[in-house]
Amino acid sequence: MSKKDEVEDVIYQALKTLNQERGSEEQVDVGPGTALFGPDAVLTSLELVSVMVDIETLAADDFGQPISLTDDKAMERDPVPFVSVSALTAYILELLGQ
Amino acid sequence: MADTTLQGEFVTLRPLAVDDAALTFEWRQSVRAVYLNAAAPSVELQARWIASRPNSEYNFVIELKDGRPVGMVSLTGIDTTHRHAEPGRFLIGDEEAVRGVPAAVEAMKLIYELAFDKLELLRVHGSIASDNTLMIKWQKFMGMTEEGRLRNHFFMNGKFQDAVLFGMLAEEYRAKAQPKMEGFIKAARRRK
Repeated sequence: MSKKDEVEDVIYQALKTLNQERGSEEQVDVGPGTALFGPDAVLTSLELVSVMVDIETLAADDFGQPISLTDDKAMERDPVPFVSVSALTAYILELLGQ
Repeated sequence: MADTTLQGEFVTLRPLAVDDAALTFEWRQSVRAVYLNAAAPSVELQARWIASRPNSEYNFVIELKDGRPVGMVSLTGIDTTHRHAEPGRFLIGDEEAVRGVPAAVEAMKLIYELAFDKLELLRVHGSIASDNTLMIKWQKFMGMTEEGRLRNHFFMNGKFQDAVLFGMLAEEYRAKAQPKMEGFIKAARRRK
């Protein structure tokens, strides 16, 4: 499995955890194009924070390296790195030095 | 009930009125509202509850700038001697309307500004049912510190749950929560 696949897997795990909180009619489609933030976002504010926190925890466990997805460096980017799964994957790979 | 309106960039917090009874009653029937204290059982009783709010409480409807009401939030338990208060009754009732809008973040920021800047309080606090994991993560992320736990304190969703106690001091708000909230608002502004 490539590092990109591993990172995507972490993000998907967090989204699947969120889906467990949602009703069967409200499941989030989990894929690279899933919009996480902004006008097209499929997540509420509370859900976005929950997913970010879960990703940071899972990434620290899986990659042995703490990452922050919402620190000043991330928030200063335009757009922010968590607009979509694909953008977030690229940002995490960058943080991991890949 | 205190008659104060708070203006943000994306939302306005205006005083909850008796005319909001039907709407807030509807919101209180949502899945997320199960973690609030028990709702009034009818629109009439909801109206009576709103009318009976004391002047010592701030109860708001969260409105978008186009006037659409999308949620509610309160600041209660204001103690000017010990200089603390309790934000709560926080609910986004219309999730579709706030898609892409940092309504929850800005509403909570306005409440904290009321507490810490206008009322010059030193601490806000609250409790969350232990099963309400989304709200627990949100409050921690936004700067609250978990301060304790009351075991089997709430009966919700057919079972007893712990009350997880949270608090935040004014200096913690200014150092951590406020910049984080402003970061989210700024990011949303760029996505408009």
